[in-house]
Amino acid sequence: MSGPLFANALVSGLLLAGFYAAVSVGISIAFGMLDVVNIAHPAFIILGSYAASIANASMGADPIVTAVALSPAFFALGLLLYRFYHATFERRGREPLRGLAFFFGILFVTEVALILAFGVDYRSVTARYIGTTWRLGTVDLPLRLFVPFVVSVAMTLSLQVFLSRTFFGRAVLAVGQDQLALQLMGVDPVRIKQIAFGISIATAGVAGALLVIIQPVQPSLGREYIGLVFAIPVLGGMGSIAGTLAGAAILGVATSFTATFFGPSWAPAVSFGLLLFALAFRPSGLFGR
Amino acid sequence: MASSLRIDGLRAGYGSVRVIHDLSLRVGEGETVALLGTNGNGKSTLMHCIMGVVRPGAGRIVAKLDGIEHDLAGKAPHQIVQLGIALVPEGRHLFPRLTVDENLLLGAHRSDARRRIAENLELCFETFPALAQRRDQLAGSMSGGEQQMLALARALMTAPRILLVDEPSVGLSPLLVAQVIAKIEELKRRFGLTVLMAEQNLAQAIRIADRGYVIVHGRIEFEGASREELAKNDLVKRLYLGL
Repeated sequence: MSGPLFANALVSGLLLAGFYAAVSVGISIAFGMLDVVNIAHPAFIILGSYAASIANASMGADPIVTAVALSPAFFALGLLLYRFYHATFERRGREPLRGLAFFFGILFVTEVALILAFGVDYRSVTARYIGTTWRLGTVDLPLRLFVPFVVSVAMTLSLQVFLSRTFFGRAVLAVGQDQLALQLMGVDPVRIKQIAFGISIATAGVAGALLVIIQPVQPSLGREYIGLVFAIPVLGGMGSIAGTLAGAAILGVATSFTATFFGPSWAPAVSFGLLLFALAFRPSGLFGR
Repeated sequence: MASSLRIDGLRAGYGSVRVIHDLSLRVGEGETVALLGTNGNGKSTLMHCIMGVVRPGAGRIVAKLDGIEHDLAGKAPHQIVQLGIALVPEGRHLFPRLTVDENLLLGAHRSDARRRIAENLELCFETFPALAQRRDQLAGSMSGGEQQMLALARALMTAPRILLVDEPSVGLSPLLVAQVIAKIEELKRRFGLTVLMAEQNLAQAIRIADRGYVIVHGRIEFEGASREELAKNDLVKRLYLGL
């Protein structure tokens, strides 16, 4: 194993991990903290990719700028979706299976809507940094991966600070544990869940813009990411942002090493093998409380 | 300082099952009132009605705070807490996977409580020194007695005027029950609270109660105007001592 090959695999793995954190942090919030089984999360990521791509094609807007500008819209979409889910499913008792079917439906409807509106062709974005690669000695730092990495890590860390340091954040951490207790603290759990779900969907929109910087996107790509976006929070510990970062780092580096030394087709097998191995020893994930 | 609670003609239940029948009681300013009764007689349902967790079928629940009367029936739990009424629920209902500190800070969520957060934290740790040494420990990993102390402390962080305590003795050893009951009395004095305490453990409850009610099958069957009256009553003896 040559030194530079190893260093490059490690760096690109960590860069990939940054992006992985962005796609899975919203899952960790919805599943781990809110008990909302939003399996449609990848569909909102693809929606974010399309928004970034369209704004890029029509106005030449930078995908990151689009992502930030549209995050209030994705937040609002999350609020509405949760309102509907709460009124039609959640409030009528715990029916996780029906909720799962509902979100599965949202996933397919979004996908079909994108196909009908834009066709099945791959879409991408152009930006100055996408073709640029910085060289640090023997290590390549492609900006196509580095820019999403920076945005994702900034987003994930600010979420971590927000959730652990604010009154609202602590209520989000508590809402899945005991709703009666939360009410007795003077907090309306439905309001907390609604806003937190909006934040979760907003992260999906940003992740979508990052995805389309990294690779071209077509409507059904979201389904390819379902395994990965769930594996990361499960590995790290559902409901822990630090765990999501750790899980993303492990799977990102594992994917990169496997792809470099054994070929890309082995990457999913190794990633999920690692997941099963880790869960055998820590069933609630690495950072699970 | 003025805070009192008045319940008139309350009826409540779950679906077609009526649990509380035409119940009336009073908790006067600064009083500690015991609500005595064995399991399944409606104590917890009554507490949940006061907090808005269970919607009563009929009757009035009125809290008087600073001379203003608030009709509680129909309000949501978080609105009732905002008024300055707190419940330490049966079974404690802590957030098990959050730390002691996080549990306490969640108690201070409402705006009035946030202003007094430093002062109330200090008072809580003064009253419960054991908690001060366990601030970073997960609530779910503490012993039952410590959890009950945390549940009390967390309720106080909401800066209540009226404190409702539901079965603080459940699952605790006799020694711990005595400690918890003594703490409730101490907190009442420190924070100037009006207290309604539902309890099965008669001997402990009447140590701190000014007076009390005995609830049987959702009805008030006896009202004792003093702790002596409670202790001497035949119904109480029959229910608790099997005489």
